[in-house]
Amino acid sequence: MEKVTLLIMLFDLLLGLGLLWLAWQLLESRNLFKAVVLFVAFGLLMALAWVRLDAPDVALAEAAIGAGLTGALLMAALAKLPSRDKSEPLADEKGHWLLRLALLLVAAGLGYVVHSLPESAPGLSAEIANNLASSGVNNPVTAVLLNFRGYDTLLELMVLMLALLGVWSLGIERSTREEPVGPVLTTLVQFLTPLLILVAAYLLWAGADAPGGAFQAGAVLAAAMVLLLLAGWPLQGLLTGVALRLMLVAGPATFVALAGLTLLDAQLLAYPPQHAGKLILLLEVAATLSIAVTLAALFLGYRPRTNKEPG
Amino acid sequence: MDMLYLGVAFFLLLNLLAGLWRVLRGPSAADRMLASQLFGTTAVAILLLLAERFATPALRDVALLFALLAAVTAVAFVRRIGSSHERQ
Repeated sequence: MEKVTLLIMLFDLLLGLGLLWLAWQLLESRNLFKAVVLFVAFGLLMALAWVRLDAPDVALAEAAIGAGLTGALLMAALAKLPSRDKSEPLADEKGHWLLRLALLLVAAGLGYVVHSLPESAPGLSAEIANNLASSGVNNPVTAVLLNFRGYDTLLELMVLMLALLGVWSLGIERSTREEPVGPVLTTLVQFLTPLLILVAAYLLWAGADAPGGAFQAGAVLAAAMVLLLLAGWPLQGLLTGVALRLMLVAGPATFVALAGLTLLDAQLLAYPPQHAGKLILLLEVAATLSIAVTLAALFLGYRPRTNKEPG
Repeated sequence: MDMLYLGVAFFLLLNLLAGLWRVLRGPSAADRMLASQLFGTTAVAILLLLAERFATPALRDVALLFALLAAVTAVAFVRRIGSSHERQ
């Protein structure tokens, strides 16, 4: 038994030190592509760390976002940057000591907060467990996200929307020349896309009883769309104008409508327990669609042309 | 069995960190990318071992996502970076 505990401790120690070292290396890297690859590796180790912290829900989200989207998003952004000499400094070096001082202060503050935390806090898990039966789902994380603290999730969807509006304000689609797609990529896309859609549906459904839910499912669905976009499918041609906008607002709009209805009835986002399960499923389906389309639109990096706009 | 699952998971984590050397050294972009793809496979194996050891089936879902989504990063690399960043 003793040896097992030691091995677990060694594993955790190696994981933690590895994360710190990776973070340092990727921040110090002058080669942006290297930094992107290190960031993908960082996401991977971070997911393992969440697993060790007994948070499989977060690990699942980290895996879906970190492994599927961030890498593709950063690489697409990197490809759009003009190429630089690697010896060129990334930014003005003069202000760096000020930045380092500020970061040191933040680190000291965080350290103080962690130090002053109580040894063992009861938290709210007991209360959540007591009320789980009336939440409509069996997974406590989903119960908190979609029922007990539904307004947090509502605002998170709004944040995603804001991010997309920010990207869209940068400009509209420019025509880019894509290399022709080879048979290997075509076959891969044909096999992988249906699988990704299936797994997204599974995660959405599993969210009621096990780790999973709208964010994870949406991220996987977005990865499927990113794959299609990378393989040269004209998704942006299909998803323009009203259709795109309807899908983008489906999640937030359903949430706001439900919030209004529940406010009239009793209290903001307090569902009647007998319908809670169905309402949460409805919200999650709409949110999954919106999250997926928003993330894929973020990957595009520009506002798609509507049919009326001249090309 | 306990010792075996954990021991192998630990060994794989060591492997993963050793593989970081290739990401840091390169020299070509493809070297770094392939090393990070190898990490994905290693992480899948670690997650499956931990899922057995700690009896948490949800970790298999995390492993499934890593296995499926690693390909998306690889495709992004081939389509967006390709040979243009070689020898950086």
